[in-house]
Amino acid sequence: MNKTAIDLQNISAGYDQEVLRAANLTVAQGSYVGIFGPNGSGKSTLLKVICGLLRPTSGTLQILERPIRTNKDRDWIRRQIGYLAQIQAPGQLPITVMDSVLLGRWGRFFSGLKRPSSQDRRRVQETLELVGIEALAKRDLRQLSGGQRQKVALARALVRDPEILLMDEPTTYLDPEAQEALVEQIKELHAKLPLTILVVTHQIQHSWGFSQAWQMQYGLLEEVVA
Amino acid sequence: MSWLQALQIPMIRQAFVGLILAGSLLSLWGVMVISLNLTGLRFTLMHVGLLGAAVGMALDMSPTVGAFALILLVSGVMGVLGDRVRLSTNALSGFFMTGSLAVAFILLAKSGIPAMEVFGIFAGSVLLLSTMDLVFVIVLGIVTVLFYTILYREIQLVLLDKELAAILGVPVGKIRLVMFILLGAAVALALRLVGALLVDAVILLPAMAALPLANGLKMALVLTAFFGLLSASGGFFLALSLDLPVGASVAVTGAFILALSYVKQRRI
Repeated sequence: MNKTAIDLQNISAGYDQEVLRAANLTVAQGSYVGIFGPNGSGKSTLLKVICGLLRPTSGTLQILERPIRTNKDRDWIRRQIGYLAQIQAPGQLPITVMDSVLLGRWGRFFSGLKRPSSQDRRRVQETLELVGIEALAKRDLRQLSGGQRQKVALARALVRDPEILLMDEPTTYLDPEAQEALVEQIKELHAKLPLTILVVTHQIQHSWGFSQAWQMQYGLLEEVVA
Repeated sequence: MSWLQALQIPMIRQAFVGLILAGSLLSLWGVMVISLNLTGLRFTLMHVGLLGAAVGMALDMSPTVGAFALILLVSGVMGVLGDRVRLSTNALSGFFMTGSLAVAFILLAKSGIPAMEVFGIFAGSVLLLSTMDLVFVIVLGIVTVLFYTILYREIQLVLLDKELAAILGVPVGKIRLVMFILLGAAVALALRLVGALLVDAVILLPAMAALPLANGLKMALVLTAFFGLLSASGGFFLALSLDLPVGASVAVTGAFILALSYVKQRRI
């Protein structure tokens, strides 16, 4: 029987007000799960709780069957997850695709005075090939299209060798063609890699192919037929 | 008088060393300011410096010390508040800029401090650089280089995507606090060197010229330092040769380098 990757029991969380209300969610290791819901329904708050950025006000959280209670536990979570957010503006930072993807290994394989090793660089190359963007390795991130930048962000999340991949509105702000291509790529990755993938999105029009799907509204989670 | 003869005068030699160190090292903060879209921040800090100068004079202290102290304090406060309040850095900048200017004018009106002396901190003069100022420039230059060297990857992550950096466990708040305080110190020193109106010549212009030409943070930092060195030394010798004000000559050289960078990028 598969281990449990994510287990939330009666989790409530929020900032000034409660956004997430007594949420229960169990995700088996290796599954591909989607959470749909409109903007402001609490999806991103849920991801922040799962990746240890936001402490729940009540309830219990277990990641890979480890109870998450202390800051040490939260630091540990960050080493287990990869994270892909919605496409960001390119910004002003000059950085090559290769260097940008290498940063994904920060905190798990290098940090501070511990410099990236040749193994880290080799892994970056392999991940660029996996995502199909090895030809962009030397390009400046600022010069890429939105779809290309999102593939780079996907490679950055994967290069960490995560157990769990969290995606927050990964297709938002991409053009329709790039959206479909990214959805297909995520499905292929799930078929190839032993990864637990959790996607939160308001875009229900794509054929995501989730093995399990949930609906979120007003901070409440409800399982729906995939 | 030739350049070599001029450089034998201790005051001019000290000014030259201070200016090229500031140009090549303090300019590295421009990379951070532009990448994080904090261009309004250094403007705020200049206004805070004015209030600091007024407070310094009201307390019978040097206006420069007052300006320096208040700039450091407000930089630190903004660095901390940025994490704890739901206001953008630009909103905080607006609050501190208007607030400090208003308080400075009230202080000037009520305390009888000569306004022109307070506004003197906006003028700056590299030729009046003291040995202590030079030591400050050297120490801040070394700290700046260490900051970028030790936290190179962490800084890259923060500049790339703050939210991702936080999720991966980078201490974004602490880095931001240190960065704001050091940037405040750099602005305060640049105020002393070239005056408020020309702070951008030291802090911003070299990075503005370098960032579009670089394909990585390391290259951006090296190019910024090089352009900063070039504009500081070029401006200094231009001022000596044509008997011009040093700050303005540095700014003109910096603007010329920026124009060349635009030509290279085919923007002109």
